[in-house]
Amino acid sequence: MTRVSENSSTASIKYALNKTKAKLEDLQMRGTTLKSIAKPSDNPASNVEALEITSTTNDNVQYLKNADFALLNLNVTEKSLEELTDIMNKAKEIAVAQSSDFFNADIRKNVANEVQQLYNQALAIANKKVGLKHIFAGTNTLATPFDSLGNYKGDSGHISLEVSRDYFIPINLTGKEVFFSMDEADPIENPLEKFDQFDKSSITKISRDLATSSEEAPGDMTGFKSRDNIFSQLQGLTSALENNNPEQVQNLLEKFDNSISRLITLRTRIGSITNSVDSAKSVTEAENVDHASRKSTLVDVDVAELFSDLTRQQNILKTTYQSTQGLMNQTLMDFLRR
Amino acid sequence: MADLLGIGKSGLFASKKALEVTGHNLSNVNTEGYSRQKVIQSENNPIYNGGFIQGTGVRVKGISRINDEFVDKRLNSALSNSKFHDTRSEHLDQVENIFNEIDNDGLNQTLNKFFNSFRELANQPENEAIRSVVRDTASLAVKDFRRIRNTLDSQANNVDRKLVASVTDINMLLSHIASTNEKIASIEIHQGETGDLRDQRDLDIKKLSEYFKVNTYVDEKNRYVVAAPGIGTLITGSAVQELAVVSKSKEDSSNNMSGSMEIVLKDRPGQIITNSFEGGTIASMVKVRNGDLRELQDKIDNIAHQFANSVNSIHRQGFVNRKIAIGPEGIPASEDKHGPTTGIDFFKAPTEVEGFANEIDLSNFIKDDLSNITAAMDPNAAGDNRVAIAISKIQHQKMGGDGSITLEEQYLQMIGKIGLETGKSHLDAEQANGLLAQANSVRERLAGVSIDEETANMIRFQHAYEASAKMIQAADEMFKTVLEIKR
Repeated sequence: MTRVSENSSTASIKYALNKTKAKLEDLQMRGTTLKSIAKPSDNPASNVEALEITSTTNDNVQYLKNADFALLNLNVTEKSLEELTDIMNKAKEIAVAQSSDFFNADIRKNVANEVQQLYNQALAIANKKVGLKHIFAGTNTLATPFDSLGNYKGDSGHISLEVSRDYFIPINLTGKEVFFSMDEADPIENPLEKFDQFDKSSITKISRDLATSSEEAPGDMTGFKSRDNIFSQLQGLTSALENNNPEQVQNLLEKFDNSISRLITLRTRIGSITNSVDSAKSVTEAENVDHASRKSTLVDVDVAELFSDLTRQQNILKTTYQSTQGLMNQTLMDFLRR
Repeated sequence: MADLLGIGKSGLFASKKALEVTGHNLSNVNTEGYSRQKVIQSENNPIYNGGFIQGTGVRVKGISRINDEFVDKRLNSALSNSKFHDTRSEHLDQVENIFNEIDNDGLNQTLNKFFNSFRELANQPENEAIRSVVRDTASLAVKDFRRIRNTLDSQANNVDRKLVASVTDINMLLSHIASTNEKIASIEIHQGETGDLRDQRDLDIKKLSEYFKVNTYVDEKNRYVVAAPGIGTLITGSAVQELAVVSKSKEDSSNNMSGSMEIVLKDRPGQIITNSFEGGTIASMVKVRNGDLRELQDKIDNIAHQFANSVNSIHRQGFVNRKIAIGPEGIPASEDKHGPTTGIDFFKAPTEVEGFANEIDLSNFIKDDLSNITAAMDPNAAGDNRVAIAISKIQHQKMGGDGSITLEEQYLQMIGKIGLETGKSHLDAEQANGLLAQANSVRERLAGVSIDEETANMIRFQHAYEASAKMIQAADEMFKTVLEIKR
């Protein structure tokens, strides 16, 4: 028969109470925070995964901001190209009308003023700003890219943004590409290409070029070889009108056509980039929803399960109290009467 | 008739002794380390009288304590083990808290914000306001690196302080055991066991076992020889080998921190024995300080070093956000009136990896002038964001160790590991506590006082006392009867 001493029974009572209470406290803690993890050791693997998800989600929030910013730039560029196309179309209409001998020198002078207005409008578009950025200045975005004579002061740099992880898209056209000729465009490179710190094989080439066209359509773009300077075309039209020279006006017609078709090509490309940014955005947003639900399963507590556990543990504690009552409060003394 | 009185008196005496011992037991029911005692009694030597061999009553041979040294040894080793795991999990709980990012932002979030601020700068590299956001998030990252390293350091210092206090305590216990040894030896020369002194000595050994594993042997005079595995003999008879703590320089310390406390034998102060203890709180604290904390200190230094270096190497390639004069051969001026235009470090250039998490700081150029934060790879290109993008891509760049792991992954592995270790230490502690409770209950069942049992004994001995008294009364009456015959 096992001997029971005072200390052995109190020790076992203490041990049992402590264990039950510790469990209850843990559950209570989860109940108040509604988190199944309060510290890394509660579940090291889930904790690390939750942290990973948090930082990916934060990255994605930033990528969405980047995408919105890219869209702003692309949309303004698109709008500017649309306005430019309108201007060139108007100039072309004037050129068509003025290419015959029907009008006299006075009328042509008046029309020349109108063309000068178109020129000024085109110049205003060329120096357009988004925030602090001149959008057609390449990377030299703080300086005004075109002077009043239509000389380009910007550079041929391209700006790329990361709109989802490792997916870079170009967000600008340089003034040269838009107003002069697409031939002069530099190919767009991945922004990481010049850094030795990054593994070259892991850098993806930017798949979509905004302006270079040599590979896409080599044959029928021959017209671009000549200098297609929009400003000199408009200036040429003005001076031809001022000089009352319909032949010169007629010569300009083909050039206007070239410029207009170039602008339209550029607009189409901008449009397709905009689409891909939109789709990248929706992929990122969907990913964030998935991440949120995954994180919730990792760190949030299952409320139904928690409260059933809690009730069960409370009952265990009650039972422990009741069963100790018999042992704690009675000794042989109580039954010995003298 | 005199026999009758003698027998009654011996019974009276034995019962009284037994009642005294019962009282001693009852009054010590809650005394730590007390072993219940009992009276050893036997019949008196019989005598030959009038042709009969006749009993002469009872004799108290001694008082002994109920105790089993093997049970005690098991209890002590369970105690060392449980103290080891308890202390470890207690310390690791604190360490783990440094890396707890569940409710608040830790280094992982801070670094994430740092990289995202560069992404934002890539959107608007012209914007000076965003540069100031970049600088603010960078100083947050710096602060967090330092917070982690500082807290790790202060926890190591905490262990140092505890070691000092423990050694004082241990020395006190050692000298106490030695003097008890002497008392026991000198008293037990004259008579039997000294239960209470032995209990005290056993209790001291038990307390010593909380600090480290203790082996004891009994010598010919019933004195304990106390030895610690890995350290050697600490007590022989009344001779004590005391411990001491010395503060060591960085090179001589066992955890590579200056001013770290190391344990030595008082007689041999040159030989560090900090790492030699087995079991108990000492070994546990040393393992936390020299193992876990040390590893984390190294890792966080490494991460800070890689982080600062890789940001610097890219940042140096960029040009400042100011107008830069271009020389006649197209070479941009390397300096303007505000300072250099390129090759600028973002963080102060790291000197050595060790302790770098404490040293990390923004470079003076960045502190002084926001335009020194470079985003552009070409001069005079305010819209060029390539440097900013490249810095933000460090986040996903595999670099550490053999180039197969990103900074974030390294940090998360660190958190994962400390989480695992802490979780494991909790399980170990729970298990060791269970074993300790078991060993304790075995001892208490054997040696502990049961009030019920003592109450029953009390009644038993009281009855025996009464009966013996009645015997004497009977003898008295018999005397009276005899005396009255004469009158």
